[in-house]
Amino acid sequence: MVDLVTQEKWDKAASTIDLMTGYGEQKRWLPFKTRLFGNMQPGKILFASLGTGLDIPAFPPDRSITAIDISPEMLSRAQHRIDDYPGEIKAEQVDIHEMPYPGDHFDQVFTSCTFCSVPEPVAALTAIHRVLKPGGRLYMFEHTGSRYFPFRNMLDLMTILARKIGPELNRNTVGNVRTAGFEVTEVNNLFLDIVKTIKAIKPLD
Amino acid sequence: MDNRLYFIVGDQVSGISVGILSALLAALLISTAWNMFIAMAVMMALAMLMGLFLSLVLGILFGSMEIMVPAMLAGMFSGMLAGMWLTMADVPLMHLVSLGAVTGFAVTCIIWFVNTLLRGIRPGETG
Repeated sequence: MVDLVTQEKWDKAASTIDLMTGYGEQKRWLPFKTRLFGNMQPGKILFASLGTGLDIPAFPPDRSITAIDISPEMLSRAQHRIDDYPGEIKAEQVDIHEMPYPGDHFDQVFTSCTFCSVPEPVAALTAIHRVLKPGGRLYMFEHTGSRYFPFRNMLDLMTILARKIGPELNRNTVGNVRTAGFEVTEVNNLFLDIVKTIKAIKPLD
Repeated sequence: MDNRLYFIVGDQVSGISVGILSALLAALLISTAWNMFIAMAVMMALAMLMGLFLSLVLGILFGSMEIMVPAMLAGMFSGMLAGMWLTMADVPLMHLVSLGAVTGFAVTCIIWFVNTLLRGIRPGETG
């Protein structure tokens, strides 16, 4: 059962997301995303959440990627970028909390600004843990809350204003990754301790 | 700090713009009749919110989060300082513009410095 409230929120955001994040944000972070997503290996890859497909130019060619998003409006806007990708992207409207894939299915999972956007981040990470093979790797590009004053307080304030129409800005995503059962292998801060890449592995046992 | 010229200029233009506009907002609202501490608190809050909303526009060009955090701080400090000054004297507009510009520039530089301390792989955060 898809979370219709969340779906509606991101359907509404779809019309402005390319304007808000399609130029400056991409120009700033595309080189870092290209490096992170360059870890995509041949095999079964899950990408969450695809949005309007702004991250697709950072994907290496010739991969077979299952890309999910809760919003059909986002996926519709992503279609031209999917068509341009020199490989295979199977885009599916899926609620990350209730993915219809069997357990231990994917070799790798990649996310991009996903865990500021999902309503239940630990439940969503637990769902990723379920579909990832033991020993499989999780690569994340995320913005999170900060541990430091005054950034922590500013992000708390901004979250009150932003959460109705967009992301939550004060989440402890690194802690949530651990809570979901992953072993965090690297945290690389890109802007303060707010924008970061996180690498984690699903332990073998 | 992002060492690409586009972002160096963009970060500074954003910080300085927000600083100047916050000081000008203080000029519209605050006079010598205000209590200094109330003026500082009011301007701190209002200018921070103004920085937040301006950063939505500037963020389109330079990246949202990387503009939003410095812009809110630049607004907060510039508004607070301008508010304090305006309770003590009738300040010429150009002096307020200068105060806002210097505050915005300084806050952006401080964010760059803090960023150099925090960015990179953090061994303490790995599992």
